[in-house]
Amino acid sequence: MNGIVDTIKNVLKETDLVLGWTTDPVTGVATPARFHDEKEAEQAVFDSTCAHNLAVHLPRLKDSRVGIVAKGCDARSVIELIIEHEVQREQLAVIGVGCGSLLDVKKIWRRYGYGVAIKDRDDSLLIGGEQVNRDEFIQRKCHGCLEADPDIYDVIAGEVTGEIPTDTVRPHPLHDMFVSLTPAERRSFWREQFSRCIRCYACREVCPMCFCRDVCIMQTQIPRWAGGAVDAKQSEMIQLIRVNHLAGRCTGCGECERACPVGIPLMLLLDEQNHAIEEMFAYGAGASLKARPPLLVFDVNKDIWGKG
Amino acid sequence: MKFIASDRIDGLLERLGERGPVWAPREPEGAAGTVLFAPWRPGDAVELDRFTTLSAKKLVLPASEKLLSFSYSLTPEGEALDITGADQGRGDTVLFGARVCDARAFTVLDALLALPPGESYQDPGYRSRRRNLLVITLACTAGDAACFCSSWKEGTASTQGSDLMLYPAGEGYLARSVSPRGEELLALDIWEDSDLEPPELAVTDRVPFEALEAKLVGSLFSDLDFWRELTAKCVSCGYCTYTCPTCYCFDMYDEMSSSRDGERCRSWDACMFYLYTLETSGHNPRPTIAHRYRNRIGHKFSYYPANQGPVLCTGCGRCIRGCPVGLDIRDVLRAAGER
Amino acid sequence: MSTIPRQGKKALEPLRPEKATVVDVIRETHNIKSLRVVFDDEELMTSFTFQPGQVGQLGVMGAGESTFAIASPPSQREYIQFSVMKTGVVTTAIHELAVGDRVTVRAPMGNHFPVDRWQGKNVLVIGGGIGMAPLRSLFLHMMDHREEYGHLQLIYGARTPSDICYRDDCRDWKQCGDVDFITTIDTGNQDWEGRVGLVPAVLEEEEPSPENNIAVTCGPPVMIKFVLESLGKMGFRDEQIYTTLERRMKCGIGLCGRCNVGPRYVCTDGPVFSLKELGELPDEM
Repeated sequence: MNGIVDTIKNVLKETDLVLGWTTDPVTGVATPARFHDEKEAEQAVFDSTCAHNLAVHLPRLKDSRVGIVAKGCDARSVIELIIEHEVQREQLAVIGVGCGSLLDVKKIWRRYGYGVAIKDRDDSLLIGGEQVNRDEFIQRKCHGCLEADPDIYDVIAGEVTGEIPTDTVRPHPLHDMFVSLTPAERRSFWREQFSRCIRCYACREVCPMCFCRDVCIMQTQIPRWAGGAVDAKQSEMIQLIRVNHLAGRCTGCGECERACPVGIPLMLLLDEQNHAIEEMFAYGAGASLKARPPLLVFDVNKDIWGKG
Repeated sequence: MKFIASDRIDGLLERLGERGPVWAPREPEGAAGTVLFAPWRPGDAVELDRFTTLSAKKLVLPASEKLLSFSYSLTPEGEALDITGADQGRGDTVLFGARVCDARAFTVLDALLALPPGESYQDPGYRSRRRNLLVITLACTAGDAACFCSSWKEGTASTQGSDLMLYPAGEGYLARSVSPRGEELLALDIWEDSDLEPPELAVTDRVPFEALEAKLVGSLFSDLDFWRELTAKCVSCGYCTYTCPTCYCFDMYDEMSSSRDGERCRSWDACMFYLYTLETSGHNPRPTIAHRYRNRIGHKFSYYPANQGPVLCTGCGRCIRGCPVGLDIRDVLRAAGER
Repeated sequence: MSTIPRQGKKALEPLRPEKATVVDVIRETHNIKSLRVVFDDEELMTSFTFQPGQVGQLGVMGAGESTFAIASPPSQREYIQFSVMKTGVVTTAIHELAVGDRVTVRAPMGNHFPVDRWQGKNVLVIGGGIGMAPLRSLFLHMMDHREEYGHLQLIYGARTPSDICYRDDCRDWKQCGDVDFITTIDTGNQDWEGRVGLVPAVLEEEEPSPENNIAVTCGPPVMIKFVLESLGKMGFRDEQIYTTLERRMKCGIGLCGRCNVGPRYVCTDGPVFSLKELGELPDEM
């Protein structure tokens, strides 16, 4: 069994580059990195601050043999990208890593200041020297972890957790509050949330499944689905388009919500939708390479009318 | 010096409110800990300890604004077109709790957008809003690991762009006016006299960038591999440009409100977007993230200083704190300096 | 930095266009139309002056505005002509316009061909496709002031005979005898009387002397590339060669930030650059 550095070095023998993380010297937390040779690979780390889903880079690396370090949740994105032919299984070397749970670094920084010293030990979390309740500072998605260990990998670095994944999409923490609202209240809830949106499209750009990238329908001139104004109405429209386009494709990695500069709970929309799709089609995006997305294989005659 | 106790800040804000809307750093409900400059109303809590995620630039450059309204109509002589300029101005507005980097950003933008008449093109909306903005700045006794305003000579001691400076001291703030309008504020009867000494101000990271102006149009410009390497993890979103207090680029577009009426508007735009420079022919002079990031850094540290004077950056660190992929502009500037 | 001085209203509201009316629409080719427009403000129309090479923002309220070279010469005081190739949203809206329709204009903008400095020199003009628009303005201007220039030669290329714009002008230039006018097409047909061959090839056949000569070229990027090579081969120095740049633009006044090539803004510092000036710009074409 090898650590992350040795594993990456090995994988580099057969790939052009490996997508992983290194520690940012200023903040002491992980930042995405690309390793091309053994020397670079010395800098690789895996720890509880490795939140970024590196699968987002795969569709831009179609011509390379790519190694990618993947947590359980990231592996779901890799699987979904393979299913959708955005990346070929053969070009990939997936380095699986078992993941306990990830820290919500942004939340820590927002409360204690950027770059505050973070020491995450087995059962204690020290922020700026102060012992805090670790549960309060882990990524929201980790509370309902679907996959602590990756389902797809070529090699495992470190140890797997051996944890049994949660078998169903855990509702978003705001779920109970949200479903108790009337339709009008829901609308005003989102209007309020989207009034902070600045249309930076970070939600889209960090999403592994939003691979339309530069030709995204939200910005086409003809037809023009969204207006140019930066306001709640347009942002709501944009996000509804995005969420709809992720129906049966969102793997719940939570990157959009993590990236949002103004704290809009985007995963509330996606979790609700993912949950509904799971109920209707018994499908969870990225759960298995063999599964076929409902939008690809759904047959109106058979699946609704029962006629073959 | 004049002094105000922390528990009387609300009183000060109320008095400021007599001059116009007051914007202050606040943490909106349900915003996951984000602090933003937002309109303040009596009873609202003000957050003066933490930094805001977004800058205060929208007070002078709204994220989107109407420039013109137009309307077509049929007359006996044929089709008529009416165009009316929108009122882009804003009355007196108070920005409370800006930081030195926020206030200085206004003076950096002034160098392009508020030049004296006759010298260049004007931005009437910007000028009017800027003229009517009263800036009350909170000096920093501590920065965080993203701050690098000390890269500029005056660092945290700068008073550029401010009307009134507040310095944390004792259980409140010492006040110093740095403009005639600031002087007026000190005449309000809410200040006490104090013997407290002004505090020692923070010293933040220093990034050398003086040599970059020439390099960025020379050897570094043609070194696309340099930019590719440094931006490998960038995902090309607009986070850095939209949170930046000095990024001012915009898009213009028309919106129809009926088949005959509409508005010409402008909105923030980001040079990191592929569509920003995409031409109808399909040609894009900045087709990759590396091209676009090169332009972003070039504009800030070479083109703007060459054309307008100041560097288009104040070291506020916003683009660093929340970058979804942890790209630190200082790493790029230092690497560029060493190249 | 060249900054075009502005007075009055424009200095205050640079993004506010003037209203204008279409007075003529000429279908040049299957995808190019020329529009002749007149400012509604008569006083403005009377006082409107510009230099060849300058551009304007022609717009249709509701669709937007785009930058086009002014294709009419400064001596033409009756109207302002723009030639527009149908490619995107704004140009499609412009192509739908008819005489009497309402448009907007912000003009003149940008710099211009330094025609004053060319006095007494021979001028070689090389155009291709829609790139003829600013060159038409230039060439007509030089013919208006024929005595100020030496030998005038125009090589104009298009893909096929039906892609030739400004047919009336071409006929005049061919007939006037005072200028050397060559049209060439990439692929000919039986009715075609002009030359056949790519513009750079025709240029090399003509082999104009660089002596006391200025070369101005405008057209598709690939044509410009090879024309510049040919001119270099023939001994033209970079400061004798001029071209225009095209970039996506919104504001047209150096603010919105998209048309810059390094520190220079095509909208205010350009669109006209000498090859020497281009060589000094960072390479981001």
